[in-house]
Amino acid sequence: MQIKGNLHPITQFLRSTVKVFEDLGFDVYEGPEVDNAWYNFDSLNVPADHPSRDMQDTFWLTDGRLLRTQTSNCQIRYVETHEPPIKAVFPGQVFRNEATDAKHEVAFYQMEGLYIDKNVKIGQLFWTLETFFKKIYGDDVKVRFKPSYFPFTEPSFEADVRYQGSWYELLGAGMVHPTVITNMNLDPEEYSGFAFGMGIDRLVILKHKIEDIRNFRSGDLRFLKQF
Amino acid sequence: MKILKSWLQDYIKLDISNDEIAETLANIGIGVESVESQIPDSVVVAEIREVISHPNADRLHIAKVFDGENELQIVCGAPNIEAGQKVPLAKIGSVLSGNFEIKEAEIRGVKSFGMLCAEDELGLGTDHSGIKILPSDYAVGESLNKYIESDAIFDLEITPNRGDCLSHYGIARELAAALKLELKSPEIFDLPNTNDLTIQINNRELCPRYFGAVINNIRIGESPDWLKKRLESCGLRPINNIVDITNYIMLDTGQPLHAFDTGKLSGDTIIIRLNNPDEVIITLDGQSHKLPDGSLLIADTKKAIAIAGIMGGANSEIDFHSTNIILEAAEFTSQSVRKTAKLLNLKSEASYRFERGVDTDNVRIALQKAAVMIAELSGGNIEGVASVSQERLPIQVEIKYDEIRSLLGIQIDNSEIDRILERLGFKVSGRVAISPSWRHDISVWQDLAEEVGRIYGYNKVDAVPVETTVATKTSPYYFREHLKDLLVGSGFTENLSYAFLSENDIRAAKINANNLLEVANPVQEENKYFRNSLVPNMLKSIAKNPSFDPVLLFEIGHVADKTGESTKLCIGASGKRARESIETAISSISNDLHIDKSLFDLAEMPREELERFKIRKPLTFISEINLDQLSLKSKHVLYPLNIEIKPSHYRPVSKFPSMTRDVAFIVDNNTNADRVLDDIYSVSDAINRVELFDQFSSDKFGINKKNIAYHIYLQKMERTMTDAEADGIIQNVVKNIESKYQAKHRDK
Repeated sequence: MQIKGNLHPITQFLRSTVKVFEDLGFDVYEGPEVDNAWYNFDSLNVPADHPSRDMQDTFWLTDGRLLRTQTSNCQIRYVETHEPPIKAVFPGQVFRNEATDAKHEVAFYQMEGLYIDKNVKIGQLFWTLETFFKKIYGDDVKVRFKPSYFPFTEPSFEADVRYQGSWYELLGAGMVHPTVITNMNLDPEEYSGFAFGMGIDRLVILKHKIEDIRNFRSGDLRFLKQF
Repeated sequence: MKILKSWLQDYIKLDISNDEIAETLANIGIGVESVESQIPDSVVVAEIREVISHPNADRLHIAKVFDGENELQIVCGAPNIEAGQKVPLAKIGSVLSGNFEIKEAEIRGVKSFGMLCAEDELGLGTDHSGIKILPSDYAVGESLNKYIESDAIFDLEITPNRGDCLSHYGIARELAAALKLELKSPEIFDLPNTNDLTIQINNRELCPRYFGAVINNIRIGESPDWLKKRLESCGLRPINNIVDITNYIMLDTGQPLHAFDTGKLSGDTIIIRLNNPDEVIITLDGQSHKLPDGSLLIADTKKAIAIAGIMGGANSEIDFHSTNIILEAAEFTSQSVRKTAKLLNLKSEASYRFERGVDTDNVRIALQKAAVMIAELSGGNIEGVASVSQERLPIQVEIKYDEIRSLLGIQIDNSEIDRILERLGFKVSGRVAISPSWRHDISVWQDLAEEVGRIYGYNKVDAVPVETTVATKTSPYYFREHLKDLLVGSGFTENLSYAFLSENDIRAAKINANNLLEVANPVQEENKYFRNSLVPNMLKSIAKNPSFDPVLLFEIGHVADKTGESTKLCIGASGKRARESIETAISSISNDLHIDKSLFDLAEMPREELERFKIRKPLTFISEINLDQLSLKSKHVLYPLNIEIKPSHYRPVSKFPSMTRDVAFIVDNNTNADRVLDDIYSVSDAINRVELFDQFSSDKFGINKKNIAYHIYLQKMERTMTDAEADGIIQNVVKNIESKYQAKHRDK
């Protein structure tokens, strides 16, 4: 008999997250990993001279471009070729230029979501994320939203999820900043929306209780064949 | 940033628990990393059951105490203990203030399992004359901090937009707004102006205000204990009374301060100017810096004496002989400080705050408070303050009440919106909110909505469903996931490798670096180039799996070079039947997509290349193909997403070699082989993986019987497993499966 191979645990988890949003009507778009500062930072209201750029350690290329630090680089790109109402998720790999250890990696997967329409409310963001977490962790999951700060959303939130008895900070989200809406060539007086982004590696680590994030990219079949 | 509860209480009265403070902060957007109570939880209420004299020391006693669970023997020197008392017991492992860890000890030949504490040992006072005797109604075994108000340190995570929260006063102000508490205003000392010093600002756009206090006849010395303790609790090292006071006021009010030794300055003018070409400064930390163009400096008439807002110069530093000082408080613009700090790669507590913006109206107030403290604690006299200051233009934002209500989705009156903004320090005038001098992050009505939301409470916002629509599902994502399923079905396992190549990698793979995208600032050498091919990392992954034969892997990922970015698929097969395996995989894809097999380049890796990648297997085949073109060919086909939820079975991989054993059973035809697999797995933690490799029915096993066979991988985390251990586990597996499934083990 043919012994089947194994899908990477990140692929498996990403599929189930994409599916939840697909069922709500979200399109999938991936975007480039090599991008410029406009799509990754400036258009998202992260100017060069602002400390919020330090929230992420960036791989800069010698030609002045960069490796995306977040799948948010897809926000403007997607809206450039689509009309509102916008409903899309952007799964993909992102990069952080830092030393690695059991909890830090130079690359990991994110999934960003973007929803733009007329009169979008915070309650719709809360509903969407609660729906997502219920599908992933079960109906009795507890979700709480805390105010936070991201330059590209206003107001901004962090979503904490109670999973197996502990609270985990799993996701950043917020209402798309009017400057970003303007950079999408939309009128912020007319359109509003929400965006959210989650680190997939971390969610997979939590699910399988993986002790070291570097296992994912170890190429070790003793790890990969367990999933 | 570390915040002391007792310091907050200089400004607000807090009648709530540490947990409630932490929750309040989190709910208004101030992240709490940790809360550390000054008395650790492991200091508990204990009851003394018996006190006897120490056999070898006249002044020591041996106390038998009950901690709620066990009776412990404690050697104690205090004169005031007797049976029946309730006392604080620091259990083994407790860390008391001053980083003093309680360990099991032997004192003059008698073992002691903890420490009974005096008041000073708990940081509750200065009394060290005897053990603190607790009221008799305290429950034995409870943590003492349930009963006794002790100080706490909150480690907070302040987002970069909230420079105003980088101080005790700033946090107290937020808590006061959230909890509707009265906020004590900072003390304002009015100091006279002086002509002894002149301030000259050459670049007003980078430094809107600068104040210098002239203080003479100070005596440098140690700071008082209370001040040192506050600094230390916040993670700062006390240095001398002048430097400590500048740090103290920074932690207190958020305003960075700096002191210059007047005796080391030339002239009586402080000049704020840009650097001269090739100008160099040696900073307080002894480092010499060649200043980049556009660096804002503080200078006297002859030399630079500080990098504005970042660090002072060694040439004007306070030392033990300093008697006259100039105390600086200024506002430097965040862009200017950030740019210079980044170019110099030099950061400080001061630059951190300037980058995030200081409270414009507090600059002079903080300076005066510091000057008065210096006069008090170092005996100096304040001659006065010299200043240059521009008027601040307040930020005004229209309050769009309806839009705020609609965005938040809450019923809230205009007047309540006004009240929340006013509690946060905004002035409301008509439909306009005027931002307070400490908030630089407010520019649009959505910013006001956030202020209202976080104080009103987001937990009161109802979830509102989003309309469900039908997704298009035409993204190439679906096509690629479909390919992954085909490859997994052909026995290949998905690999995920780094998107980088190192110098070593491109040498081994003979890749020309000319066309590669190069990282300008890699923190790790391995991340020098972005990959232009998946092959080098595929070969490295094959090399990493010597215990697998064959190794069958694939990866789908982005590659890029100077000509552009694309998505590729790489398939690798190495070892037994490598060629057949990879050909089967390619056939399964080409048949499914109705494309010609020749689109796939299939290459056998030459021996020299295998050697360069340290692959010991004789046969290795690789095929790499660009998927962007393939997905275009299939763009009209809808590929549904295949979701298979498997039980989670993860066990860490040992660094030590694993053992493999095969077991086969004869079972009823209707036995679920996957359930048997799960049961094998649960027999022992040492089983890292179970793989079903054979399953077939045959009459020779009996009617309705089948054979199922598994590879079982065994390992020990801390060492190599022995054969005997492996055999023992396999015996348990056999026993378990035979009894649970009426199975028959097939012995070879």
